[in-house]
Amino acid sequence: MRILILEDDMLIGDGLMVGLQKLGFSVDWFTDGLEGKEALYQAPYEAVVLDLGLPGEDGISILKEWRAKSRKEPVLILTAQGDVEQKIFGLESGADDYLTKPFALAEVAARIKALVRRHHNQLDLVLRHGDLIFNPKTRTVTSASQNIMLAPKELLLLELFLLNKGKVLSKTQLEEKLYTWQEEVSSNAIEVHVHNLRKKLGKNIIKTLNKIGYLLGDE
Amino acid sequence: MKKLSLQLRLILSFLVISLGVGLCAGLMSWYETKEEMDEFFDTYQLNLARQLASADWNNINHKTQKKTNELIEALDDDGEEEEEAIAFAVFTKQGKMIFNDGEEGKHFVFSPTSGFANQQIGHKKKNKWRMIWLESIDGKFYVAVGQELDFRQEASLEMVLQSLVPWSVGLLFLITFTLFLVRKELLPLKKMAKTLSNRRGDDFSEIDTDALPSEILPIVDEMNDLLERIESMVKKERSFISDAAHELRTPLAALKVQLDVLELSKEDEKSFNKASQNLHQGIERSAHLVEQLLALSRLETNHPSKIALKQIDWRKISHEILTFYQPKILQKGLRFELQLSDASPIEQGNEILCVLMLRNLLANAILYSPEKSEIKLKITQRAITLENLCALTSKDFARLGERFFRPSGQKEMGSGLGLSIVKKIAEIHTCVVNFTLEKGLFLVEVERNNDKNFKNLP
Repeated sequence: MRILILEDDMLIGDGLMVGLQKLGFSVDWFTDGLEGKEALYQAPYEAVVLDLGLPGEDGISILKEWRAKSRKEPVLILTAQGDVEQKIFGLESGADDYLTKPFALAEVAARIKALVRRHHNQLDLVLRHGDLIFNPKTRTVTSASQNIMLAPKELLLLELFLLNKGKVLSKTQLEEKLYTWQEEVSSNAIEVHVHNLRKKLGKNIIKTLNKIGYLLGDE
Repeated sequence: MKKLSLQLRLILSFLVISLGVGLCAGLMSWYETKEEMDEFFDTYQLNLARQLASADWNNINHKTQKKTNELIEALDDDGEEEEEAIAFAVFTKQGKMIFNDGEEGKHFVFSPTSGFANQQIGHKKKNKWRMIWLESIDGKFYVAVGQELDFRQEASLEMVLQSLVPWSVGLLFLITFTLFLVRKELLPLKKMAKTLSNRRGDDFSEIDTDALPSEILPIVDEMNDLLERIESMVKKERSFISDAAHELRTPLAALKVQLDVLELSKEDEKSFNKASQNLHQGIERSAHLVEQLLALSRLETNHPSKIALKQIDWRKISHEILTFYQPKILQKGLRFELQLSDASPIEQGNEILCVLMLRNLLANAILYSPEKSEIKLKITQRAITLENLCALTSKDFARLGERFFRPSGQKEMGSGLGLSIVKKIAEIHTCVVNFTLEKGLFLVEVERNNDKNFKNLP
């Protein structure tokens, strides 16, 4: 799951990035408001973590612009302003959730997952496909009650297919969702991951549509 | 000893003075009345004696006396006559009493004097009598007319007392009226005291001055002024505490998130070390913030008059601070230009505060100057001037010196309190701090405040 973090405090930003990566997210982190705002238009993010006091442009006006331009990515606001009025103002400006500093990393991760789940209208805590069950919380996969060991990127890829049932995802889209700008992507990385998923979960788990992209197979 | 209430003191002193004056007036009037009465009764006695002296006493015998006594006793109503009022007796030259008034006169003893005399009379009562003895016209008899002195005194006293009655009633009425008036006038004060005692500690609204006596108005006006000042101080204090609490959230959040990362990195040495290093940095930042908060709060609560002053050696202070920051200066490759003189805008001051001020200024300059740039420190009689390059937007510049304000996006770990502290210290030393920003050149000047109305109060 690729998420965008806009936070100008070096220690908090670094902690969020490293910590969320450890919890299985792909993270892009910006300290400047303007750069961070543009980033959302450049890559497909599942969610945004937004600090309000940003240099360049403040969090609230960034959020308003995104919403005005019909960006629907769920936004979690992180701020030191803890009073109710501030929270209401943030939520009414288009935020989906609000966390006051100091916060626990695990709570940030849990809230992001909940926001993404809600965004995809998925009320079940686990993702199902036939007898395959993906648990986003524990990041484990079982197929016919058998535990399947998947590499971190394979887990991310499988999660993407499960969240986008019936949608065709292009190779470029998948690359963007899987990799941050800091990571180098080899030209056949997606093919390799798809190959591995098919090997571990059965050939029919993912369908290939020539020159268009990939699609989750039938149940 | 507790002082008596104004009301009680007023009434007591009123009472004492009135009684004193009343007593004096009574004594004087008693003395006057007595003189008048003596004169009046003496005249009366003399007239009676003269009439008796001109009577013919040759044919008087004991039968006449008996008859007179019977007549007097037979009187049903003897009016308001008093026995001691007047009495008389007639003696022969040899001292034999031949006639008396039938009452007190019979106790008269023969002892003729010329004119008036106070004499003891041989009666069971040992009272003194006022006596006049006259020879009868024919020269054969002595006539004695007497009056008891006590009677005279009682009569004068009675007259005085009677004249004092309306005065006493008047006094009583006056005291009651004064009591009522004082109570009525002091009622608004009592009401105010009650309202004040029921007031909440955080209610700084004005005390109502309506219906207050004009004597008390200035005090209440001053109290209202004081309330206003206390309110603004409490507001400042509250906003400081809330700002401080709010500002502590960010460094705390950094510590918390880095600790979370540290816990997640137990098996990743590189990440563990980085988080641990970040934690150290975060703790240093929090400690710095707390230190600055304490410094500012001490500056706020200490009255300038309580701060010990001494001669400030700015050269020594500047060199000490620069030595302290030498590693950072070298690390950023900064150049320093110093122009120090013996004169400065703060010649007498508190050394600890002056060090704190210059350290905050230099720390800011070192922190926010770009690498390999130049910092100029100039101390002249007019001002302490610090000049350095700084990438500050004009919007952020306008907010400099506000408590907890830090231009967003700072990679440096400031508390946002440094310039507030500088401003406060300058204020305590009757100086002002001016900031200017021109083409990226940031200039701070600490100079004497020439505004005469300037009060260096916290």
